[in-house]
Amino acid sequence: MSSPPAVELTNIWKRFPGVIANAGAELRVQPGTVHAVLGENGAGKTTLMNVLAGVYRPDEGTVLLDGVEHVFGSPADALDAGVAMVHQEFRLIPTFTVAENVALGSAPPVLRRREIEEQVADLAKRFGLQTDPRREVWHLSMGERQRVEILKALWRDATILILDEPTAVLTPAEANELGRIVAAMAADGRSIIFISHKLDEVTRFCDEATVLRGGATVAASLPVSSLDAPTLAELMVGESTLVSQRRVRNNPADPDQPVLSVRHMTVHDIHGIATVDDVSLEIGSGEIVGIAGVAGNGQRPLADAIAGLATPTQGSVRLEGDELGGAGPNVRTDAGLSYVPEDRIGVGLAPRLSVTENAMMRTYRTMGAGPMVDFGDARRHCEQLIDEFNVKTGGLDAPIAGLSGGNLQRLLVGRELATSPKALVAAQPTRGLDVQGVAAIQEVLVAQAEAGLGILLISEDLEELLALSDRILVMREGRIVAEFDAETATRAMVGEAMAGSASKREPA
Amino acid sequence: MNEVTLVGLMLYLAALGELIAEKAGVLNLGVEGMMAVGGVAAFWSGTEFGNPLIGLLIAGIAGGLLALVHGLVAVVMGADQVVSGLALTILGLGMSAFLGQDYVSLPAVPQFGALPLGPLKDLRIVGPIVFNQSWLAWVAVGLGISTWFVLERTRVGLGLRAVGESAATADAAGQSVVVTRVAAVVAGGVLAGFGGAYLTLNLAKGWTEGVTAGRGWIAVALVIFGAWRPGRTAVGALLFGGLLALEPRLQTFGVEISPILISMLPYVITIGVLTAFSIQARHRPSAAPAAIGRAYRREER
Amino acid sequence: MIGLTLQRREQPLPGGQVRAVLAGAFIALLAGAVLLLLSGSNPVDVYLRMADAAFGSERAWSNTLSRAVPLGLAGLAVAVAGSMGLWNIGAEGQIIAGAIGGAWVARVLPDADGVILIPAMLIGAVIGGGLLAVIPAVLRAQLGVNEIITTLMLNEVILRVVRYLVNGIWKDPGGSGFPQAPLLPDQSALPGLFGRANIGLLIAAAVLIGFGYFASRSKWGYELRLAGSSEKTAEYAGISLRTKIMTVLTLSGAIAGLAGGIELTGSSSRLVEGVANGWGFAGIIVAALALMRPSGVALVAVFFGAVQVGGLAIQVSGVSASIANILQAMILFGALAAGVFTEYKLVRSSRSPRAAVAA
Repeated sequence: MSSPPAVELTNIWKRFPGVIANAGAELRVQPGTVHAVLGENGAGKTTLMNVLAGVYRPDEGTVLLDGVEHVFGSPADALDAGVAMVHQEFRLIPTFTVAENVALGSAPPVLRRREIEEQVADLAKRFGLQTDPRREVWHLSMGERQRVEILKALWRDATILILDEPTAVLTPAEANELGRIVAAMAADGRSIIFISHKLDEVTRFCDEATVLRGGATVAASLPVSSLDAPTLAELMVGESTLVSQRRVRNNPADPDQPVLSVRHMTVHDIHGIATVDDVSLEIGSGEIVGIAGVAGNGQRPLADAIAGLATPTQGSVRLEGDELGGAGPNVRTDAGLSYVPEDRIGVGLAPRLSVTENAMMRTYRTMGAGPMVDFGDARRHCEQLIDEFNVKTGGLDAPIAGLSGGNLQRLLVGRELATSPKALVAAQPTRGLDVQGVAAIQEVLVAQAEAGLGILLISEDLEELLALSDRILVMREGRIVAEFDAETATRAMVGEAMAGSASKREPA
Repeated sequence: MNEVTLVGLMLYLAALGELIAEKAGVLNLGVEGMMAVGGVAAFWSGTEFGNPLIGLLIAGIAGGLLALVHGLVAVVMGADQVVSGLALTILGLGMSAFLGQDYVSLPAVPQFGALPLGPLKDLRIVGPIVFNQSWLAWVAVGLGISTWFVLERTRVGLGLRAVGESAATADAAGQSVVVTRVAAVVAGGVLAGFGGAYLTLNLAKGWTEGVTAGRGWIAVALVIFGAWRPGRTAVGALLFGGLLALEPRLQTFGVEISPILISMLPYVITIGVLTAFSIQARHRPSAAPAAIGRAYRREER
Repeated sequence: MIGLTLQRREQPLPGGQVRAVLAGAFIALLAGAVLLLLSGSNPVDVYLRMADAAFGSERAWSNTLSRAVPLGLAGLAVAVAGSMGLWNIGAEGQIIAGAIGGAWVARVLPDADGVILIPAMLIGAVIGGGLLAVIPAVLRAQLGVNEIITTLMLNEVILRVVRYLVNGIWKDPGGSGFPQAPLLPDQSALPGLFGRANIGLLIAAAVLIGFGYFASRSKWGYELRLAGSSEKTAEYAGISLRTKIMTVLTLSGAIAGLAGGIELTGSSSRLVEGVANGWGFAGIIVAALALMRPSGVALVAVFFGAVQVGGLAIQVSGVSASIANILQAMILFGALAAGVFTEYKLVRSSRSPRAAVAA
């Protein structure tokens, strides 16, 4: 082929405070093709795409479109050059009609509604996008909304379209529909970059695939026909020779004595979609059960529903055999169920309050007589926590905003353990922490399990799950799709189950 | 009965201004102050130059300048819109009292004259009510229609509404949030100033401290009653104008209910309408612009 | 391109709000000076006279502190709601409702002893203000109706109610046609303290200190701070936001109602339409400047009381008293603007998108 690639990203570096998101990433996309970009969470896919879409400016590296170098100062610059990106969170205005959303930003000075609606309808027809230009967007399903986003890009005549995990919000039927649309656009000579975790989609919809790991390209422009699940999983998660260091625990878990059991739990989101779909699990005394899964596959609503922060449509939670029913979060804590939520600040900890005020959140109701709080008591409690869990603070009365991530998490985990719970739900407990912080939290979790605590550990870090868990459950699309004994499981095995080799599969 | 349309159209001018600002996502509780400043400016310049048109223009400029303060503090600097707007009311009332102290109870100012519509105004019943209006009344009607047109049928209006619904989305589409919002707030101030001019020149026919008498709050209420639509707001303005204009008259009709109690209806109705919107909002997006009251800073994206 | 952009500071400036208020006061004085110069007065002269009228003598202090009472209570009312992120714009109306409640008690118990009548009237005022606030409280907690608008609308409603009362069924038959309620019984007047100041000052101080203490030391106050800091965290801690919204907004109205009761029994001898006198709106500015903290409310209330007393004093010499209102609003605008710089700093930036994503 003599014509230059539609997109050529060379040696892209992008650093954020404390993180290197892209470390010399490369990407080459031929015109008129659908190109998959694959990788684990944190592999740098989204950052690389944001560089191409003008959201970020790379620290190093070049962006070539049709062989011509471009430097984008803003997404508008990229759009002018023909690059459009459909983000995971749609940027649509719910009260606007489809046509209004499409035309926003590039409308004629005077809008002739019917004319624009017809043009939008024509454009939609050309690429097989089913939509009614006159409908307001809030009526539409997620799949239809995505089509509006794609229409926006086509309206501006984007020749390069980036779809960031487009199927994450779609039903299988909608995903198939998207596949047809993508093919139609490629046939029109446009290039589509398709970010995904799911192998079956990649093989069905895409022509070539590039795999990122640790911010760098580990495989460039592979023909998808050469891909199979084990190869892909290995490429995504890295050498399977690296054996994770299992933390040996003194007291073996006792799965026969379940402390926490969840039965047939289903949670619907505000759109009526089942984000948790008939999940059942049991955690024994002293057992650590890991939940693996790509972000957004129902882990968060599952954790919230167990902790009493979300109301399940169906299902039960039992703690040592006692049904928790509709009990509020504080009642659950008192009963012996603690929760380390994914959002440390803003859910687990109150941002503008002091260290002491955050430390007393679970126990203030019993501190001091009557309506008053015994702040002497609260401070002693806080000092104990700080001491026991080695939290470094700027003082008991300092706002927690000044604490580092590791210290915040030690404070939060410490507070949740101080009530001597029987079971703990820990969501992403080590995410974003430095090496020492990770080690400290993991040690605490292991020590607590040794003392008999049952832990549900939700993590996107496979290494961590393999090192700490007794069993690993894989969650995909709201369901538990696989279960592994952590002793014998490998990264590749779990990674494959996470990516899935069919878009919908019955639990293994 | 002419007074119904007179009060109604005055309220409409101010409400239209508030509607524009709110459509862009900025709540401006300073209407009362902007009307007062517009009123005193119109009275002063109208007397000074003997021409109500100059009075109107000066009132618009005064209202717009005061609104610019809100624009700078609440939009550019991102301070709380509620506090800034209320302070604008206090500032405007104070400024108007300060500037107007020499004009209190002065008589004789030029009014906005009637627009001769020939035989139309001689029609029975309808004629005197509908067609015997000053030309400013027709300007108000024209402004209402053009506001609707700009908001619904132009690129500028599309961008403005987008900013009021989701500043981040509008920003991503290349619409400048700060410029749009400040412009909308200032335009709203100009219209509030017009309303104030109408008040002092044609309705109160004079200037006294506190002449606005809470009419700015009705303008805020009208925007809600009108569900942020220029047309429905016009209907509300006539309805509320009627209820308020009736206030001093009902007794002469021998109605048993006190006219004072009648005059609280606009506010009670507004609370009812807002409650209905809130109940509706469980099933569909609220009628209110979604981004209203929220400052936008791009770095927080 | 080189431009200036606001960048969030990693930590807010320590003592930033005090600096912001002082900067605001400075900006306001400068702007006021320009106005005064334009109207032909000597600003230094006017300001000195204002300061003298507000602080120059015991009597001056008594005037300042008497005005600080309704300002402080209205400010506290707004601050109570504000510490949970709710806006009570209805303090103005709740003051009227409080005065109506107090006046009603006086009509029912005209012959009661002062020791009984005064507390009864104040309780009536608290209930009156609280009742008016129950409406927005219920609507907000149960249906999510925006409390800013409902409290604002109720101001105008209750204004019509008091107008109806003093023009109609409560009109003083001996008032020669003036729209006013009859004089209150003599024994309903709050005992004086010094100068113009009366017991109301002690009541307000006790409420501010008592509430400040309770809010900072009680479980209820702790939950309030938690909910104000992050609603999700409050839910996580098992706090019912609905109950909290109801109690907080109602309490807010009750405190404003108390201000109305004290105005009625302390400063005016009868119920009149203008009993609220703008205190409620000024209270919003007071609370905003005090960052919703009771201790700050007290300080700002005294400061604003002084500005108002000063404004009234210069009226005698032909300068409009409205300069006081202008100054109050300008202080707030100045402080809001200055306050931005306690959390943000101006940085020179090339127009790269990097600055936009650094946060």
